[in-house]
Amino acid sequence: MRILKFFFFALALGILLGTVLQAAEAPGQAKRFPPLGPLPPVPVPRDNPMSDAKVALGKLLFFDPRLSGDVSTSCAACHDPKLGWGTDQPISRGYPGAEHWRNSQTVLNSAYYAKFFWAGEVTSLESQAAAAATGNVAGNGDPIMMEERLRQVPEYVKRFKEVFGVDRPTIAMAWMAIAAFGRTVVSKAENVPFDRYAKGDQSALSPEAKRGLALSQGKAGCIQCHNGPLLSDDSYHNLGVPPNPIFEESPLHQITLRYQHVIRGVPESVYRTADRDLGLYYTTKRNEDRGKFRTPSLRELKYTAPYMHNGVFATLEEVIEVYNRGGADDANKSPLLKPLGLSDQEKKDLLAFLLSLSSDKPLIIEPPDLPGYAPMKQEARP
Amino acid sequence: MRPLVLSCFTTWILLGAVSAAGAQDLQPLPPLEAPKAEQVELGKYLFFEPRLSGDGGISCDTCHNPATGWGDGKPLSTGYPGSEYFRNAQTLLNAAYYKRSYWDGRLAGADLPTLVRDHLTEAHFMQVDGRLFAERLKQIPEYVEMFKTAFGGEPTFGRTLSAVTAFLKTITSRNAPIDRYLRGDTAALSTEARNGLVLFQGKAGCIQCHNGALLSDQKFHALGVPENPDLFADPLRHITFRRFFRTLGAPNAENYRQDPGLYGVTKEKADWGKFRTPSLREVSRTAPYMHSGAFATLEDVVAFYDRGGGQHPNKSPLIRPLGLTAAEKRALVEFLKSLAGDPVVIERPDWPDYQPRKLGQN
Repeated sequence: MRILKFFFFALALGILLGTVLQAAEAPGQAKRFPPLGPLPPVPVPRDNPMSDAKVALGKLLFFDPRLSGDVSTSCAACHDPKLGWGTDQPISRGYPGAEHWRNSQTVLNSAYYAKFFWAGEVTSLESQAAAAATGNVAGNGDPIMMEERLRQVPEYVKRFKEVFGVDRPTIAMAWMAIAAFGRTVVSKAENVPFDRYAKGDQSALSPEAKRGLALSQGKAGCIQCHNGPLLSDDSYHNLGVPPNPIFEESPLHQITLRYQHVIRGVPESVYRTADRDLGLYYTTKRNEDRGKFRTPSLRELKYTAPYMHNGVFATLEEVIEVYNRGGADDANKSPLLKPLGLSDQEKKDLLAFLLSLSSDKPLIIEPPDLPGYAPMKQEARP
Repeated sequence: MRPLVLSCFTTWILLGAVSAAGAQDLQPLPPLEAPKAEQVELGKYLFFEPRLSGDGGISCDTCHNPATGWGDGKPLSTGYPGSEYFRNAQTLLNAAYYKRSYWDGRLAGADLPTLVRDHLTEAHFMQVDGRLFAERLKQIPEYVEMFKTAFGGEPTFGRTLSAVTAFLKTITSRNAPIDRYLRGDTAALSTEARNGLVLFQGKAGCIQCHNGALLSDQKFHALGVPENPDLFADPLRHITFRRFFRTLGAPNAENYRQDPGLYGVTKEKADWGKFRTPSLREVSRTAPYMHSGAFATLEDVVAFYDRGGGQHPNKSPLIRPLGLTAAEKRALVEFLKSLAGDPVVIERPDWPDYQPRKLGQN
């Protein structure tokens, strides 16, 4: 019932804002797509309701490196609040001894996606946390080892009991708490120029940004995929993003690239020739899905460079440029991409619009002090 | 003349006991089937290779160091970074001879590749995905070449296990005084050691469990060895301990305040606190002793047996106070020292580096 209510609320809000924005700025193709607007209240799964205590616990766990194999790699290691809740490298750092193979995506507003990771491999923040903490080139944590570590921390035992009503922390509950924390790492409309504008403050956007908004919904065609309050269709597209040359040179990146092909179960012929990230293909094993990645949100881009699944673009100018060219060469490239013929001013306008989707100041949460281990008392069980 | 007569007499007694007792025989260590030299050479590199661990931080020799008797010289072994292990690291010397592997015998000794696999992939040891290290090894041209020579193909998870297994089969006792003695060279043991041998087979009763070529009956016994208090006082060890027994499916593991040993494997109450009889070969090189590393010296171990072991509900009836004199204890220790052969010294090789490969030619 709650979800249904939320849905109608979002729909009503969307229609309202969409009408405003379309009428004001963007006639044409915009009306075919879910309209832009401020983010609705964050969706919360029915089996993991929010509470302040759960969020506070999730925050501790998010920063706790004991939720990794060798207690080196917390969630924050690759999702650093000070680095836009990602890293500042094209390819994320990996677990010690390894490098990752994809750009670290921001936690900001990730609560609004229905699909997580660059190729939508999982479908909830809860399962995202589990997959990242146990992935061998990410957290390399053993679930039972991590669970026993939590049980060795009296403060966690107390908090899990308060939050979940259990005598012993479980690792699945840790992922639930981290997901609840993730659902608080969201843009606030009052801090985002575009959202203030959408709510009626005409002065919130510069003339450039307003023209950029119109372009995004018209000539530049961004809205075809970057639509709705999240500015993502949560679907998969191939843009022909150029390869990141680091895979030509770096042994550790080559190792992880091949390893991903092995663990994802591709046919041997695909492994033998693997030279790039095949995106959605790993999940579907359909050739038409090669090179497709899930559309990322355009919110908070100011803080989340570099861009694309392989971090190949350092600036938004580069991103706009590649779209202006109609994407790069790829047999599977989306038919939605075609040369745009944007003028220099139009590119600047688009950039101004994109920047208006970011908070005025970055959302930063300082790492908390973590509770320590203590010897465990023996409690005879009946 | 007299010493010679005495030693001949002792030998005669020994041989007499041997023929009567059968399984209680002490025998020279039979040679193992020689593994392929190219696989041994590759296995040696891999044994010392930290890229076979999850975070590249440890290698087999971290806990099985040739310089400390192929163990780590600590009462309780170190585990994977961020963890501490909960038992003593056993020597690899002659490990290839056991019928069951580990202190609790949880693996079949005949399946050494699985023993290697367990060390590599378990969260408390090296916590690595075998598919990941196979790709790491493929990134090192020297290893690619060595795998080709040793196996006729590229690096794989399974071939890695086989290569380390081949190396393990070469870590065996060589030229131990006891073996020379058993082959007829009575001068190979000192008088005191020979006296110790007599005690070993007689008054001290060691031979009841420490028999055969390995000086182990390959069975499981409870001796009431004291636990190491760190097991439960050190959170890192207790975490590893509980995880281990949970993964074995042992019930109520969080309330154990003793190492249940074989029980963790069988879940039979009668097996609580039983551990596999370790070989006594090379024992003077492998301190500290027992599953908990409770004893720092062989003298401590002998004193423990002389007391009739410790307290344990499942304690073996074979263990009882021995009433050894100080001289007898010294003789026993002297005999135990004769069980060590020439040191098996292997130098850590220089690791070849990762190199870029031609992208897309895998």
